[in-house]
Amino acid sequence: MQNQQPLHVASPLRQSLPLTKEAGTAVYLKLDSSQPTGSFKIRGIGHLCQTVGAPGSPVCVRRRAQGIEPEPEPCLSRPSTGGNAGMAAAYSARQLGVPATIVVPSVTPDLTVERLRDQGATVVVHGKALNDSIVHGQQLVENNPGWVFISPFDDPLIWEGHSSLVKELQQELREKPGAIVLSGLRRAAWGDVPVVAMETRGAHSLNAAVKAGELVTLPEITSVATTLGLARVSERTFALVQEHPVFSEVVTDQDAVAAVERFIDDEKILVEPACGAALAAVYSGVLRRLQEEGKLAEPLGGPVVVVVCGGNNISVQQLQKLKQQLGLPGGGHQAGPA
Amino acid sequence: MIMANHFHINTPLLESVNMSKRVGTTVYLKMENSQPSGSFKIRGIGHLCQQSKGIVCSSGGNAGMAAALVARKMGLPATIVIPSSSPELVVQRLQDQGATVKISGKVWDDANAEALRLAETEGLTYVPPFDHPLLWQGHASMIAEAAASLGPDVKPGAVVISVGGGGLLCGVVQGLQDVGWTDVPIIAMETDGANCFNTAVKAGRLVTLDDITSEAKCLGAKTVCQKAFEQSQRKDLNIISELVSDQQALHAVQTFLDEERVLVEMACGAALAAVYSGIIRKLQDESRLPALLRPLLVIVCGGSSINMEQLANLKHKLNSMLTFNEHSFIKPIYT
Ligand SMILES: Cc1ncc(COP(=O)(O)O)c(C=O)c1O
Repeated sequence: MQNQQPLHVASPLRQSLPLTKEAGTAVYLKLDSSQPTGSFKIRGIGHLCQTVGAPGSPVCVRRRAQGIEPEPEPCLSRPSTGGNAGMAAAYSARQLGVPATIVVPSVTPDLTVERLRDQGATVVVHGKALNDSIVHGQQLVENNPGWVFISPFDDPLIWEGHSSLVKELQQELREKPGAIVLSGLRRAAWGDVPVVAMETRGAHSLNAAVKAGELVTLPEITSVATTLGLARVSERTFALVQEHPVFSEVVTDQDAVAAVERFIDDEKILVEPACGAALAAVYSGVLRRLQEEGKLAEPLGGPVVVVVCGGNNISVQQLQKLKQQLGLPGGGHQAGPA
Repeated sequence: MIMANHFHINTPLLESVNMSKRVGTTVYLKMENSQPSGSFKIRGIGHLCQQSKGIVCSSGGNAGMAAALVARKMGLPATIVIPSSSPELVVQRLQDQGATVKISGKVWDDANAEALRLAETEGLTYVPPFDHPLLWQGHASMIAEAAASLGPDVKPGAVVISVGGGGLLCGVVQGLQDVGWTDVPIIAMETDGANCFNTAVKAGRLVTLDDITSEAKCLGAKTVCQKAFEQSQRKDLNIISELVSDQQALHAVQTFLDEERVLVEMACGAALAAVYSGIIRKLQDESRLPALLRPLLVIVCGGSSINMEQLANLKHKLNSMLTFNEHSFIKPIYT
């Protein structure tokens, strides 16, 4: 594949009849679960790596730049099951033909480390928490001329990359959507289309900030949706809430995991709880409630688009464990769509 | 190819690191599961239905889903005839697509007879699920897309597909011809008990199976279409027919769900088992594929007739067969 081409794919957009039935309004799914690294992260990180890793770019003096990617492990107490940003960085580096070193904290599961190595990355396990990994990564960059530090968080280039999703929607949808549903909040501005930003309780840093009217640091991340688990949202994210109609909504871990399970039956796709949070906007009736409260129009002027952000850190067994841990019914499963 | 009004989408072509590791060459997945109807069938059927006034389609499920979706988009009534072997959840899904569902007979061939009768008596357009040149032309678009995604420098070492009635096979052959890849081998996968293509290839003529005993119901045509058989006889093509057991197909479905996070039908599991059950390696050992294989293109054909409950049922059913009939599937059933 050519370096000039984006590293993400234009992901499928399709209507979901089961979710349409559930929501009582047309629901379209933007399937970023079928991105090359299994999540939307490749859009931003791919764009960043491509830009800073390209020959002659101002950041990288040498052709053989090295991307350093600390695992986004922002939670204070819970072991990370993150890895979607790291996967995206490792994949990008491999496609671009540059070596990548990924620094992860010691709590990172072996499976994640193995998957990163399968992508051809050198994995350095350093420190207990993310902060140690970041410091170590920055030291590596200082000591190795030509290396480039890839921030998993908040680079403007990452934001620019994520905006490709809205561009695709604009091309594919004939009408303006009535709302866009996301987990967390990213740049998804499309005129005045309201954004429903979903979080789980215990990883609700955006919601806490919106309620307080200022940036807030959560004392602890207690949700199982660890890839949502930023203790504090960035300035840029918070600014977006001021500029654009955003409804910040919180569901329980139970809601998110139940949504993951129903989504397998309805759409045959297995996603992380972080993504389940967005799906719960439909399955747990958040959209209907927002309509009842007069926050979203009824009927909506266009279809709802749910961004299915995907995620790597889930298997059937893991889902089973989460259900047990959260006291959800059945070691079994739910029946098909009613 | 020009398609007046198409209903399918350009699906992602993804590299699977996990599968590549297993085979020892890069594996690309053409994600047809992400089509609006949940399987590749929408390509051909969308292409075929362009001039219809109302349709009737016989199907194990997925052709029906595609036909129902196309009919809904075109504002046409659709009647889908399915055999009783299709799981209950298919009926609900078809009805959600706005179709009238009729259950007729035990296997697809029975349902098809009823569909033909309805076409005659009600004046509906008959949509065959696999045997029509327009279907093949529609399906061929997936190879053109894959070629465009891979770029001019990459040519696959083989294409892996599953075969039911042979419509996908004919479409892939045409697609390979369209892009000038006729020398790329096609690995045509079936399950034991839904093996009409393999039986025909071995016999050197079309053979009608007595019954469909595999759980891969969507592969369960008793006779493969004439054109698919003719393609298998061509000297300028290299079509390799292989079988796996239902257990191997199921194992592939489970592994794919864990590793790629997508749930597919047994029909699709048959194709995936080429990787997971070592069929590719075996073909390399037998020198029927080169030891240094160029990338493998696997068509992930998808399928809607599955959910977690169905998967648990299949596990239960096929694993209990294990205790009685251990040796029939521990070794892959090779041809
Ligand atoms: C998911 C799936 N895969 C493969 C096939 C086989 O296709 P064909 O009958 O064109 O050979 C079918 C047919 O119904 C199917 O539904």
